[in-house]
Amino acid sequence: MEITSTTPSLVSRVVNLSKSYGAADNAVSALSDVSIGIRRGEFTAIMGPSGSGKSTLMHIMAGLDSATSGQVWLGDTNITGLGDTELTVLRRRRVGFVFQSFNLVPTLDIRGNLMLPFELDGRRANSEEQGWIDHLIATLGLSARMTHRPHELSGGQQQRVAIARALATRPDLVFADEPTGNLDSRTSREVLTLLATASREYGQSIAMVTHDPIAASYADRILFIADGRVVEDRAKSSAEDISRFMLGMENVS
Amino acid sequence: MKRFAVREHIPSILVATLGAMFGVSLLLGVGALTVLISADDVTGSSGTVAALLAVVAWVFIIIAIYVSAVVTSNTFATIIAGRTRTIALLRLIGASASDQRKAVAREGFIVGAIGAILGTILGTALVAGLMSTLVALDIVAALEFRYLDPVVLLPVVAVILTTWLASWVGSRRVLTVSPIQATGAAQEMTREETTARRSRNAVAIVLFASGIGLLLLGMVVGLVTQLGVLIGIVGGLLSFTGLVLGAHLVMPPALRLVGRAFGNSASAKLAAENAVRYPERSSRTTIGLVIGITLVTMFAVAISSFQTIIYGAQEADPAYYEGIDQMVLITVLVFSVLTGFSALIAAVGMVNNLSLSVLQRTRELGLLRALGFTAKQVRRMILAESAQLVAASVLVGLVLGIFYGWAGAQSLLGSINGNPGFVLPTVPLGLIGVIVVAAIVLTVAASTAPARRATRVAPVVALAVE
Repeated sequence: MEITSTTPSLVSRVVNLSKSYGAADNAVSALSDVSIGIRRGEFTAIMGPSGSGKSTLMHIMAGLDSATSGQVWLGDTNITGLGDTELTVLRRRRVGFVFQSFNLVPTLDIRGNLMLPFELDGRRANSEEQGWIDHLIATLGLSARMTHRPHELSGGQQQRVAIARALATRPDLVFADEPTGNLDSRTSREVLTLLATASREYGQSIAMVTHDPIAASYADRILFIADGRVVEDRAKSSAEDISRFMLGMENVS
Repeated sequence: MKRFAVREHIPSILVATLGAMFGVSLLLGVGALTVLISADDVTGSSGTVAALLAVVAWVFIIIAIYVSAVVTSNTFATIIAGRTRTIALLRLIGASASDQRKAVAREGFIVGAIGAILGTILGTALVAGLMSTLVALDIVAALEFRYLDPVVLLPVVAVILTTWLASWVGSRRVLTVSPIQATGAAQEMTREETTARRSRNAVAIVLFASGIGLLLLGMVVGLVTQLGVLIGIVGGLLSFTGLVLGAHLVMPPALRLVGRAFGNSASAKLAAENAVRYPERSSRTTIGLVIGITLVTMFAVAISSFQTIIYGAQEADPAYYEGIDQMVLITVLVFSVLTGFSALIAAVGMVNNLSLSVLQRTRELGLLRALGFTAKQVRRMILAESAQLVAASVLVGLVLGIFYGWAGAQSLLGSINGNPGFVLPTVPLGLIGVIVVAAIVLTVAASTAPARRATRVAPVVALAVE
């Protein structure tokens, strides 16, 4: 796939991205010459076994980590050379995060956590944004939980709050890093359905890193990563197909 | 666990060193002074002055060691909270809780011993240096003086024992760590658990109330006889013990009150929440400083109030009080330095606690950075947290110190020659100024290192910390 900086339908893209850790003589390569784009409005899963480089890829795309070489865009912004403060403001306004665990600030109640992205910006949500947040709260069934602290909620509820927070600012792209890694299968299904719905109904672009074929089967598109390279790019697939491909990948290498 | 993590213990070693240094240099200084005095014709004849000096020295040594003990037990408790996962893992493998606790206490003993040795060397060097300077400047004559006085062993042993004891007290949470916590996150006591300890709270409140009652009684009795001060001292000790015991009831409200004054930005709000997040911990962190500031303020206010009372009496009977001004000034200086030392120890403790608690929040800071906290906002948050802890301590310490100092002066001097009766407390504004400046310095000092460390860690790394 040819990727240029002006491809309009891509919300995030990396071009010839490489990332290595450690000093030059004994550097460990995490990503080598990766070029991919995340399409706007789609729910994309980034799959791969542990150590494949999928988390590193997500961190770099989200402006949490820097590239060793190559270019990184978020929308029309080239974020490759941005400084720490610019990246921070970019994350605050244009990116949402859902992590595997420890998503919420333990000292703030649920409302405080939801409003955090706005408060970090030193402003209040305007009436339109507030309406959107109220809608999210109602849809996700969090209305009765607003004054509770995170530790009073179940894992699934905490994850729903994290998703609501990630959606609250209507970011260009929501990154979800193994969002179901700590949940039981029923709660996992709820969370995945929620992400898929957010993408389908609200047009939210989502990139989810996972190694779980069932989780990936909820996505519109699946990118497979192995040993720091993109090895496959396929449209929505069943969990069985994904598993089969993953097993095949293991056997080849 | 046999390993001894020096880094973790540097602050406790510093506290023990300061305590031992203070004790050794004070006792040696008093020893030197005694030799000087006995060479003097007027005072040399009686041993009263020397005995009085020794008593005063010991009072301040005990105060300093007490503050060190509070600070050290607090530091150990914080270290233990950070080690919960490791302890749980060892329990999982089969280590017994009491063995674990003994290991921690052993570390405390080593910390105390290292500090005591360093303190002895530094204290002796300090007095020797001071004496030789004075002799060189011809201020005093060279004198026969033994620096290896066995009496200095007393504070040294006291420092070792209290540090040991403090580490034992501070490590009591080891017993409550369950092996299963190896799989979860470290947790301190929450607000609910803290306030639920009824009996301790009741004792604290009874002690405090009865102590205040006795102080007031002492002031009334003081109008008739100077013996009122004895009732006052008992009242002071009782109420102060009550306060230290019930710190978790006093400090969190004070912290909340101060926290509200810092505004509504995200940094300030989070800082306010962090400061009261573990009431147990923030009470421990601040109580040492409260004790220090209370003592400094108490002596200063007592002496200033003495001054007011004496001036009042002076007008009635001028001849009786000649030459009192200079004595008052010297007393203020000496007492400020002596109590200031305890405050310094408490300040070291606070710096240390704040850095440990920021270190233990690495993961949370990573989350905040990922969500869009700039490095500057993180720094501001830690600064605000530090400012809150210091400001709350200063607030409580000033209120208590002014009251205690006033009560002391009133009960001692309410009935002296000239019959001054009741006077309002005199608050020396210079002292308040010094405390405020010191507090600002402390706030910045306490937050600089943890803030730098917190912002140096890349968010990705912080998020990966278990």
